[in-house]
Amino acid sequence: MSKNFNVDPKVLYMVVSSSAVPVTDLLDRASQRSDKLHALSTSLSQELNSHLPLIGRVITPRPSMCHTAALQTPTDKTQTLQLSEANLLSLARSLLQAWMDPLVDISTSANSLPHPARNIISNQVQELQEHSKSLEDGLDILSRKMGPVAQTISFLPYLRGNDISQDRISSLINLQFLMSCFRRDSHKIDSFLKVLRCRAAKLQPQMC
Amino acid sequence: MKEVMEEAVLLFLLLVIYTPDAQGTRYSPPGKPELTRCRSPEKETFTCWWKPGSDGGLPTTHALYYRKENSDTIYECSDYHTAGENSCFFNKNDTSIWVNYNITVVASNALGSTFSDPVDIDVVYIVKPNPPEKVTVTVMELKEWPFLRVSWEPPHKADTRSGWITLIYELRVKLEGDDEWEMHLAGQQKLFNIFSLRSGGTYHVQVRCKPDHGFWSEWSSTSHIEIPDYLHREKSMWILIAVFSAFIFLILTWSLHMSSHSLKHCILPPVPGPKIKGFDKQLLKNGKSEDLLRVLVVSDFPPTTPSNYEDMLVEYLEVYVPQEQEVLLEESKDLHDSCLKFEGSTSDNDSGRVSCDSHTLLMDKCGEAKEEGRQTDQEDSTTEAEAQGQQKDWDQDTLMYANGDILSPEKSSGRVKTWPSVFSPLPQYTLSLPDQTSSLEMAKQHCYSDSLFCPGSTSSYLTHLGNNDNETLGPGSWEICLSNRQPYSHIPQMQTCQQVRSHSDVNISTIARKQEPAGLPLPFFRPTAYVEVQRFDEEDMVVLQSIVSDHGFHEGFPQMLQQEDYSKVKGVDSNNMLLLQTEAMKEDGDGCRCQDQVTNGVTESSCTLSISTTPHKPTAHIHTVVSTQDEMAQPASGYVDTATIFTLPTY
Repeated sequence: MSKNFNVDPKVLYMVVSSSAVPVTDLLDRASQRSDKLHALSTSLSQELNSHLPLIGRVITPRPSMCHTAALQTPTDKTQTLQLSEANLLSLARSLLQAWMDPLVDISTSANSLPHPARNIISNQVQELQEHSKSLEDGLDILSRKMGPVAQTISFLPYLRGNDISQDRISSLINLQFLMSCFRRDSHKIDSFLKVLRCRAAKLQPQMC
Repeated sequence: MKEVMEEAVLLFLLLVIYTPDAQGTRYSPPGKPELTRCRSPEKETFTCWWKPGSDGGLPTTHALYYRKENSDTIYECSDYHTAGENSCFFNKNDTSIWVNYNITVVASNALGSTFSDPVDIDVVYIVKPNPPEKVTVTVMELKEWPFLRVSWEPPHKADTRSGWITLIYELRVKLEGDDEWEMHLAGQQKLFNIFSLRSGGTYHVQVRCKPDHGFWSEWSSTSHIEIPDYLHREKSMWILIAVFSAFIFLILTWSLHMSSHSLKHCILPPVPGPKIKGFDKQLLKNGKSEDLLRVLVVSDFPPTTPSNYEDMLVEYLEVYVPQEQEVLLEESKDLHDSCLKFEGSTSDNDSGRVSCDSHTLLMDKCGEAKEEGRQTDQEDSTTEAEAQGQQKDWDQDTLMYANGDILSPEKSSGRVKTWPSVFSPLPQYTLSLPDQTSSLEMAKQHCYSDSLFCPGSTSSYLTHLGNNDNETLGPGSWEICLSNRQPYSHIPQMQTCQQVRSHSDVNISTIARKQEPAGLPLPFFRPTAYVEVQRFDEEDMVVLQSIVSDHGFHEGFPQMLQQEDYSKVKGVDSNNMLLLQTEAMKEDGDGCRCQDQVTNGVTESSCTLSISTTPHKPTAHIHTVVSTQDEMAQPASGYVDTATIFTLPTY
């Protein structure tokens, strides 16, 4: 497999045709899973928002304070489409990896949430974790087929901060903030994978 | 004065101008505008619309300001016109995705400005594409049935080919004039077939789309399609069917009418009058009670003739040999008396099973004959050998030995081993004495064993089939199956020392018994000499024949066997048993050749083959008493010549 990946779709096509396991298939599955992941995060976020006290809206931290903001991601279509497949995959994997620990915290915090729909939230968070894990595994397999660049993962530190000692409102606000960050990042992951899927499925335009 | 007048006029004018009308309009700062929505059709640009508040009676202008999340720079909307009134269009350059926009609209007029509430949006969450384009609907036919084929294209602005946007589609169909639409989800495909057409007419079709995480687009413009009228085809068919069924209905009615009478009988059969068999109504009417009662009495009740009474009697004995190994029978104290009984009625699962194989015979607990036998290795071996050869011997003559007394249990020192060979139920043997001859033929069984059966020493097994209750060996048939390697039915006589023929003769048996505790050493080699019951002829004679066994155990013996005298009749005991005895043997020991030393000395060794015949039936009782004896007694090994036996006078 060629190690020089660039935007050239011919390269990806070669990758596709030479590998034993169809990459398109893997990408399709990964896309579906990331789609599901984002849908879950959206519903969870909305669930949390609906019960957020009004004051929380005011002091919600800005999304630029998400711990994954350090990762440089494209901000429009042009930039995104300019990325190579390996880069796209690497970004997706980095983002996903960055959320594995925070999801644990979210799960813990959701279990002790002073929230009327605590059980629903708890279940959804658990589902989130499962989907994240399986997506991570899938992307891992995929990355091996796409060279070392794809296997690069940027490390994004996650600082817990003072989550634990916060009062009820603060913990709720923090949870909601985390969920909004996750919602966005999951959308990024989903978009990258879908772009990848379309690129890999040159022979199957019905996928796009 | 003039100046005052001018001022007054000016004031008056001002008042007039600014005086509110009858409703009291006041000028005020503008009302608060409100951002209604922001939408992006393709995730590359977006538009925001607002609703202005009251204008305060003054011309109001609105301005939209926004701020991106990472910076504090405030930008103003650059395009207020593209998207219409009260809108702001963000072009590609101004649009960033995955970035929060904080948007505020300001309405301002002469008196002031009012800010709307800020709205945070992220472009990726507000995607609502344009409706699909180029929707085409065509009528196609599949096996003469029409269906609609709808095809479309994604909105031209949405970039689906690069995967930037993923769209799913939905269409709806309705017949013209209907109120409800029929919805169909088409997924990502751009082609769809509708088969659920009802009839001719005009159909309306619409399509819409939605991005993976966004809002549904508006419905496309309606496409009208007219389907040719297929209804007349259906109608004609229905008419045909109706006519045909009417025709059939007429025919059915006619036939029903014609056969109404017989049909009545068929459907509603006449109720039969009461009938009692043998009962004559006339009798009843006549009123003669005696006749009546006589009729009522059933003559043949209760049944008096016993049917198959005899069948109820057990006519055969069953021996069940559970295993090929020897079965050690329990020694019961009662064997003494009745032991040698074999209840033919012993029911076990193997009823009817006859096997002269190495199955051990199951002795009746009550009175089964037991034979002492010591389990030895040889016994086992013989047992095995027995098993092998047994199958063949079924048809051959069997030597029947009935041993009753010898097997008296108390005599038996230890355990009794059942004869490995199996006694088949001999129907005629036990019970129906008259049939003995013929039955004996049938009942002959081979039991072969190499094992010596001495009631104390070896594994000789005697089994009795006795159907009679009495202890004495009456008209029971006794079988002794001797297992042998050879496929002969031999009576192992070489081992005669240990071969004990159970004898109904109490004395002998006891004597023989006594020898058992002598502790005969078990010989390893047991030459066997066999006597075979050839047959029972019609004269109730048992013909015995000695058979020289081949096997090597008879080392040195074979010649002797042939030279031996046949047994002679010792006598007939009270039980109608013929006691045979080899000539060579005196009272001491019949030709029991046994290599075994009788430790105690054989007081009496008589290899007697006794055949007892019941007075009325030629029961085959062959009792042989094989007593252990010292080696000296050899030639007369207890062979019994059947011919000689029966010819009593000859002896």
